[in-house]
Amino acid sequence: MSLFGTSTGFGAGGFGAATTDTHNPMKDVEVTSPPDDSISCLAFSPPAMPGNFLIGGSWANDVRCWEVQDNGQTVPKAQQMHTGPVLDVCWSEDGSKVFTASCDKTAKMWDLNSNQAIQIAQHDAPIRTVHWIKAPNYNCIMTGSWDKTLKFWDTRSPNPMMSLQLPERCYCADVVYPMAVVASAERGLIVYQLENQPSEFRRIDSPLKHQHRCIAIFKDKQNKPAGFALGSIEGRVAIHYINPPNPAKDNFTFKCHRSNGTNTTTPQDIYAVNAISFHPVHGTLATVGSDGRFSFWDKDARTKLKTSEQLDQPITACSFNNNGNIFAYASSYDWSKVTFCLVPHVMIVHIQITFVVKFPSNVALGTCAPANSSQIVWV
Amino acid sequence: MGRKKKKQMKPWCWYCNRDFDDEKILIQHQKAKHFKCHICHKKLYTGPGLAIHCMQVHKETIDGVPNAIPGRVDIELEIYGMEGIPEKDMQERRRTLEQKQESQKKKQNQDDSDEDDDDDDAPGPSFVQQQMPVAQPQASYVPPMAQPSIPPGARAPGMPPGAYSGMPPMMPGHGVPPMMHGMPPGMHGMPPGMMHGMGGMMPPMMQGMPGMPPGKHCPRRYSSSPPLLQSLCTRWGGLALTGDTAPASGAVPHNVPSTSSDPPKATFPAYTQSSASSSNPPSNTVAKPPATVTSKPATLTTMSATSKLIHPDEDISLEERRAQLPRYQRNVPRQGQVHMSAPPVAAVGGMMPPQQGMPPQQPGMRHPMHGQYGGPPQGMPGYMQGGMPPYGQGPPMGYQGGPPMGMRPPVMSPAGRY
Repeated sequence: MSLFGTSTGFGAGGFGAATTDTHNPMKDVEVTSPPDDSISCLAFSPPAMPGNFLIGGSWANDVRCWEVQDNGQTVPKAQQMHTGPVLDVCWSEDGSKVFTASCDKTAKMWDLNSNQAIQIAQHDAPIRTVHWIKAPNYNCIMTGSWDKTLKFWDTRSPNPMMSLQLPERCYCADVVYPMAVVASAERGLIVYQLENQPSEFRRIDSPLKHQHRCIAIFKDKQNKPAGFALGSIEGRVAIHYINPPNPAKDNFTFKCHRSNGTNTTTPQDIYAVNAISFHPVHGTLATVGSDGRFSFWDKDARTKLKTSEQLDQPITACSFNNNGNIFAYASSYDWSKVTFCLVPHVMIVHIQITFVVKFPSNVALGTCAPANSSQIVWV
Repeated sequence: MGRKKKKQMKPWCWYCNRDFDDEKILIQHQKAKHFKCHICHKKLYTGPGLAIHCMQVHKETIDGVPNAIPGRVDIELEIYGMEGIPEKDMQERRRTLEQKQESQKKKQNQDDSDEDDDDDDAPGPSFVQQQMPVAQPQASYVPPMAQPSIPPGARAPGMPPGAYSGMPPMMPGHGVPPMMHGMPPGMHGMPPGMMHGMGGMMPPMMQGMPGMPPGKHCPRRYSSSPPLLQSLCTRWGGLALTGDTAPASGAVPHNVPSTSSDPPKATFPAYTQSSASSSNPPSNTVAKPPATVTSKPATLTTMSATSKLIHPDEDISLEERRAQLPRYQRNVPRQGQVHMSAPPVAAVGGMMPPQQGMPPQQPGMRHPMHGQYGGPPQGMPGYMQGGMPPYGQGPPMGYQGGPPMGMRPPVMSPAGRY
């Protein structure tokens, strides 16, 4: 039974049977009842909540919630709708609310216990990012929009508690208290500090030369935000520290999500980095790209840990769960290759989950059988 | 300076017109880019050296220096670093630099949009353009440093918005490319508040900063060329957040190093090989400076000899592009059912092709509003754009019909294209 209504597209079966199907070459667990259109964002529940709940927003205007069980099963739980494609989702720190941002220029707060969603924010253009800020003296939602503003909302009031002007449309943002960072169109990059109240901290000249696409803050060993990883459409990620002892050495960029690495005869295809996620425990990062692959990297050792096989569709979103054991990624069309004849009439969207295993000496990643060793059911 | 002037300008590569901080780096660049054998990848020291190597070892002749701009492919010319560069080329370079400095200063006070277009249209392969503007900032950095005010409406949005006007303490750390952007006046109100709130994030910064006169940071005019940034941006990190970048000139040298594929720039080991050999992509697929804030987005340079950017040409995000499509413009209050997907997909199939190449849209353009959507907006309880609908109103069953935001601008909000 599907809570999500009739689900066209896949799900009709046949997936498990194929051996090297490119829908799921990594043989990861596929989430049941995926949305009917591309997935724009994924978010796992915070540590305060027992269990793992995955929220995914999609271009089908809906936001879905699944429970991911320890044996790998995914159970659809609930759904909410916007009137426009959902672009970003986030959880409150206690796991009771989910905030969703949409092209319908609103952001909503979804109370999971009551399964009610109310509007809490309004912009003049689609809201691209939404983040929950929990500060000692205030709580609020931060929304970044294509109307070039960054607004902060107390969910109880219809008016923003603060509105900051951005240089350009907000393309991506991340928040790890007390730091927030926003990357905008025209390669804008601004860091905010959130103590007492949000204020602009610094504008940074982009370390990348192409359009910004995704950003994620990382923490240092003291668990304080230390910098961020910024991805662009040109298959490149910049690791940037806010106050490094030696910026020239500490900040760097690396190339990723490109084809034909060593083949110099054919032009190299360069793909956009669609999302970046940091592992909550190890501090390694995952990048997913339009080339249909995901990769794990160690920014301190500056090495690549693993790259997946190539999926048949771009990977549009990813998320680690709160303890880093599960990595979810969504494979769906991202319109990076739209041409006259390539428009897919049927989009296969699926969210896969890979279980992350830590070996004694260093981190290795891959799928694993659950501890109780019952079979993982490929759905 | 000494009698024998050290070529006076920053080291630059005769073959490709790129600027470098240091002659050593220049030489490394030449060895890797111009004097490297394409067969065995051995790095030679000079052009003739490469020619001889290919002949002797591989029995192959080469007719030109690899990766050189047209006119500079002469393999017979023995150039090593800055030595061996013909005098007339040196003078030409000096002249060009000076011209650029002049036009830089002039441009600073002019309207940007036209300027940018001019730059873009300048003839020649993309990297000729690259190098010229690259040279600019070094000269122009010093003068602008003295300017306390930011020319309003200054630069093309192509530049990373370095809104430094409010951030004197930060400035030194950003000495190099704090790009001035057309900052909304509102920003100026920020600094006072901002200074206090710095708290935990700032302390290391603050220490070196106190002496910075507020007006001193660099309303830098950035050239419209991205290649400038490619060198700046890779090196800007080199500006330590210390207090001793006070002298403006101290900040200057950093800004014109080689491109991101430079060895000093750490890249992941996995890519160090390819970064040397296929390092052209970054420089060649650089985005053209987007046009100013107009309805027509700029386009990217997505193709080059060695690489191809898999991205639509317009320099807008994939989400924006997608949101403009007719199928996402509708504002149907979906009642939790999802079989909407079938019709839209089919509809899209028909509608898509004509829409494809469409640059983002003029409001009137796309309205294949299907009849069913006519209704909802009117039904919405008094939502005016920009106003906040009362909360908890009509709660939620499944969703709350938000303000009919999907409605096209002509109907609702004047701003925005959505």
